[in-house]
Amino acid sequence: MKGFLLALFGIVAGQLFTGQINTKNFLYGRKSDAGQPFVDANGVRRLKKENTLYFSPERVQLLMFTLSAAFYYLTQVMNNPNPGTLPDVPNSWTATMGGSNAIYLGGKALARFWPRDDAAKGNIS
Amino acid sequence: MNTESLIAGFFTCDLNTLVCVIGYVLCGLIGLIGIAILWLIYDGTIDLSRLISEPNGDASMSRFQFLVFTFVISLSLFLVIVAGKEGENKPSFPDSIPAGILTLLGISGSSYAVGKAIQFSDPAGVEDRPIAVTVSPATATVKYGQKQQFTAEVTRQPGANVKWEIIAGPPAPLDAKIDATGLLIAPAGPSMPPAPHATVKVSLVDDPSISDLAVVTFFTA
Repeated sequence: MKGFLLALFGIVAGQLFTGQINTKNFLYGRKSDAGQPFVDANGVRRLKKENTLYFSPERVQLLMFTLSAAFYYLTQVMNNPNPGTLPDVPNSWTATMGGSNAIYLGGKALARFWPRDDAAKGNIS
Repeated sequence: MNTESLIAGFFTCDLNTLVCVIGYVLCGLIGLIGIAILWLIYDGTIDLSRLISEPNGDASMSRFQFLVFTFVISLSLFLVIVAGKEGENKPSFPDSIPAGILTLLGISGSSYAVGKAIQFSDPAGVEDRPIAVTVSPATATVKYGQKQQFTAEVTRQPGANVKWEIIAGPPAPLDAKIDATGLLIAPAGPSMPPAPHATVKVSLVDDPSISDLAVVTFFTA
């Protein structure tokens, strides 16, 4: 079982690092502005074909806290003074992960409900 | 319990032995399933390429977090079971799962669910982006007699074969040429009447309707 878990972990980690598992735009979010007008490089007003990508600090902080929490918990298990029991997660870490996820979801919601100018859509080809 | 006593107990229908044997058989079956899963992943039948992808093709942070926590907690649980309780010399399940771990899993799961709800409220968030080809550069200025390399990026089908062609430009014999690798060779000199522009088109071999254009402007020194 341990071998299976470690092999599966190794496969997933290896494929993440080699790019076989898609990590495109992993640290980027998308603003819901598809169909909104913009001026292209030739000065022509067009409508955006898809949502705009933006570098997402909320994703970066969630990634950092997730990896930190995972690493911290594994070290707790490795150095567990009470074998046969699962070490508990300190309340500070639980609160931190809750806050981190709340920030991530807040940023995602803000990007989703980005102010739109739907009135402009009908005036541009 | 050694093998001889297992076999002897099995044929005498000793209950403890039967339970033990059934346990070993189940372990063997689960082990075979695990090996089969690993093999199917290795040969590509189980495709992990979109393991943490959202429907629109972007990688999902909430899925990644779920993946990390699942691995960490399952590995931790296994290590604790194998270690066994203090003073005992056999594997055993822990008496309880700490509330903090359950809370952490709940936070991760809730974040994933709420993230999906936000994403699904926008149709673009659930539609798979169509296969598209993008030529680079989109515009180029090339001196007569020089060369310009164009590249094509095919989203959602990276290994697709593409076809390069010039669909508009100076007439022969002073026409621009492009090879199968996207290398454009500008005319040796300006044509008469002047036609200093050419349009490069790249399209998918399997679906010519998926294409992109680039505009080239030729100039003399």
